[in-house]
Amino acid sequence: MKVALFIPCYVDQFYTNVGVSTLQLLEKLGVEVVFPMKQTCCGQPMANGGCEQDSKGVYEHFVETFSEFDYVVTPSGSCTYHIKKHYDIIEQTPAVQKVRKSIYELVDFIENVLKIEEIPNSFPHKVGLHLSCHGQRGLRQANASEITGVRDGQISKLLRKLNGIELTELERNDECCGFGGMFCVTEEAVSARMGQDRIADHLRNGTKVLTGGDVSCLMHLEGIVKRQNAPIKVMHIAEILNGNQP
Amino acid sequence: MNHPDHPELAEAFNKDFERTTWHDETLWFVRQKRDKAVYPVPEFQDLRTLASEIKDHTLSNLDNYLIEFEENATKNGVKVHWAADATEHNQIVMEIIKNSCKVEGRNARLVKSKSMLTEECHLNGFLEKNNIDVVDTDLGERIVQFRNEPPSHIVLPAIHLKKEDVGETFHKHLGTTKGEKDPQILTEAARQHLRGKFVAADVALTGINFAIAETGSFVVCTNEGNADLGVNLAKVHIACMGIEKIIPKLHHLSVYTRLLARSATGQPVTTYTSHFTKPVEGKEMHIVIVDNGRTQQLGREDFRSSLKCIRCGACMNTCPVYRRSGGHSYDFTVPGPIGAILSPNIDLHKHKSLPFASTLCGSCSDVCPVKIDIHVQLYKWRQIVGQANELPAAKKWAMKGMAKVLSMPKVYNLSGKLARGALRILPHGLTHNQSMNPWAKARELPDAPKQSFKEWYEENRK
Amino acid sequence: MTSREKILASIASNKPTLVTLPNVPIFEGDGSIERFKTVLEGIGGTAVELTTKAECQEAIDKYYHDLVNVASDIVKANVAVNLDTTKEILEQVDLAVIQGEIGVAENGTVWVPESNMLNRALPFITQHLVLVLDKNNIVANMQQAYDKLEDIGNYGVFIAGPSKTADIEQSLVIGAHGARSMMVLIY
Repeated sequence: MKVALFIPCYVDQFYTNVGVSTLQLLEKLGVEVVFPMKQTCCGQPMANGGCEQDSKGVYEHFVETFSEFDYVVTPSGSCTYHIKKHYDIIEQTPAVQKVRKSIYELVDFIENVLKIEEIPNSFPHKVGLHLSCHGQRGLRQANASEITGVRDGQISKLLRKLNGIELTELERNDECCGFGGMFCVTEEAVSARMGQDRIADHLRNGTKVLTGGDVSCLMHLEGIVKRQNAPIKVMHIAEILNGNQP
Repeated sequence: MNHPDHPELAEAFNKDFERTTWHDETLWFVRQKRDKAVYPVPEFQDLRTLASEIKDHTLSNLDNYLIEFEENATKNGVKVHWAADATEHNQIVMEIIKNSCKVEGRNARLVKSKSMLTEECHLNGFLEKNNIDVVDTDLGERIVQFRNEPPSHIVLPAIHLKKEDVGETFHKHLGTTKGEKDPQILTEAARQHLRGKFVAADVALTGINFAIAETGSFVVCTNEGNADLGVNLAKVHIACMGIEKIIPKLHHLSVYTRLLARSATGQPVTTYTSHFTKPVEGKEMHIVIVDNGRTQQLGREDFRSSLKCIRCGACMNTCPVYRRSGGHSYDFTVPGPIGAILSPNIDLHKHKSLPFASTLCGSCSDVCPVKIDIHVQLYKWRQIVGQANELPAAKKWAMKGMAKVLSMPKVYNLSGKLARGALRILPHGLTHNQSMNPWAKARELPDAPKQSFKEWYEENRK
Repeated sequence: MTSREKILASIASNKPTLVTLPNVPIFEGDGSIERFKTVLEGIGGTAVELTTKAECQEAIDKYYHDLVNVASDIVKANVAVNLDTTKEILEQVDLAVIQGEIGVAENGTVWVPESNMLNRALPFITQHLVLVLDKNNIVANMQQAYDKLEDIGNYGVFIAGPSKTADIEQSLVIGAHGARSMMVLIY
């Protein structure tokens, strides 16, 4: 099994720790991981901004970088969704088709490829899970409240099994945080307000550690936490599963 | 002409923090009512699939169903009219009114129940200019009519207003006590006022929720009873519909009546689901079938499914952006996510900011009772806006530059290093300058680490 | 070219290839009187069970003794209503008691065809509405209702509870334009 690690551009540049934790976690789970050095980005930022035609070069570079692997694992549901869903505008060569199939979000990979249901770590904290939309509704990694009242999903399944953990019961379990790529600056007012409302829900319900599957949402939420000096520590799910403590 | 775009209008809306909270929570409450009505119906997801597939089928045979509908309606003694656009629609409605009620010494009187189509066609203003008195009878619509505002939501037209605002409006127009804001008392005042209008009306106009090809009948759904009260007291009934309101058979209707109210307000069904087939002896019934851009949308493969919309408003109630920016920020008859995929078809330049007024969270698509992939269409409209050169120049060139950098690993590595270096050295006041960096208005930037992951990897794993 | 021809031609050239029409099943469900009553009460209506239809008069005397102007072809009436009744007279009706045909348990709604209405405006203009319903005509859901209905006639309405609105701040107010109360007498 040849597994490659894809660390999205903004994680590479700003969240070194998330990259390191993802790598270490996969290694602990017995996966031999290759990190192709020429990787950059999946192209989503431009595409969501209405310029997918300009992203074609980025898409092609991505495919060229990763097509030799059986699995490409990344700590981002959003990038995974983008590659699966939107790499349909370039020619569907066998390499492109292979990459679109082999790309996996980290937790999805752990549960559905490695078939690991429990990671024997301890995390004695009250944890609030932010369900990132592209993982949740895009990749169907968690139930959507529009469809069912049962709150469940891949990340919460693994989290629940950590020793000593308590999960926050939110008022709005799956409302978007308001990051939304370029949206966070083009629609700054609504974006910020959405993030503030998410943080308020977590604060009201006792979250001490806020986690999720997408660094982009967490970056936005952490920006608000820090501006408000709120007593919440933000950690990516890879960091928690890797055994890091707040 | 330069129109204020969604970000500007949304920012203005957000200036009032408390009111934004209230607007968000009120609509979220409706969304929660919807959930409570939907979860206990075991076949709800099957109904969504059926509703979607029936509409897919209908759109693929729409011309024939419209002909069948017209034939049957005509047999029923209903007069069918066709309008290619809003102007023709308004003209037809006016002529029906002028021809069928020869009133002397006063204006003809029209009572209307809710019809988003007539909002789309700006019918009211046109009729008033032509000496026809128009009274919107849906309470929410009457409120916004008094205030000379468009509705801000397709099901809850006055949801942008608080009871104090309504109290003020009714004090001015209906003479209620100044400061009176009890919804019960205000609604009673409207009831008394509108009963007079119903009794005095010459013509009643309604929208159409569903038109049944097989029988030539049409269905109108209301909670207040204003549609039935209006049409059953007036001599003439005019019903206006977009071409997409057709369903093939009566048998299909139940799929939609089971979905509509549950999705819209969380009621198991609207109070009145009224089926009109034939007029009473001596009275008139007219149907106006309107295109106004719909056949063009039908021809857009990526966007035609937007015509499946049954106007329940669930995508507005669920949309975190709509709830925090208000219906008027969309500046289009149908606001919210569905409006953001309908409006570019009508005027791409004017509505170019709407496909971007979304985080693409996908809640709208999951809540939609006819399974329109709204967020997918938002993404696709963005590409069309981009291709049509409608993006702001700065954004376009930033995107192009970014795409270049991201396809060249070495350039990417270097620019990342330089940017992080700059962030680490520059003073907070500069990196967080709010006029240069909108991110920083409400948020801190992430700490820039010394090493990128790549640099760490090279040092530790190679 | 008329607008009709223009629209139809435009549809013909823009529509996609024919998509199959799905089969709509008649979904099963709970069609009990209890469920019908619970749901109806949840939407602001009331339901009263009688042993026979003959008890309607007694029920009306009990619940509506304070109402003056009654229109009905089922119980004692003092306002005669038919197709020709004027608006001015209809406006005075306090209570209408008419026959409902089918009750739907999932949403508390009752089918009232034109033939039962005395006048099309009556069920809406009356201040209070009572529908009389045979308990054997309660079905589980709307699929079953339309299936039972077969023909919708010239005009017919499913009525679910009293007229209501929530257009002011989402506060529910009963009695918008139509009936201020709605009772179903089930026999």
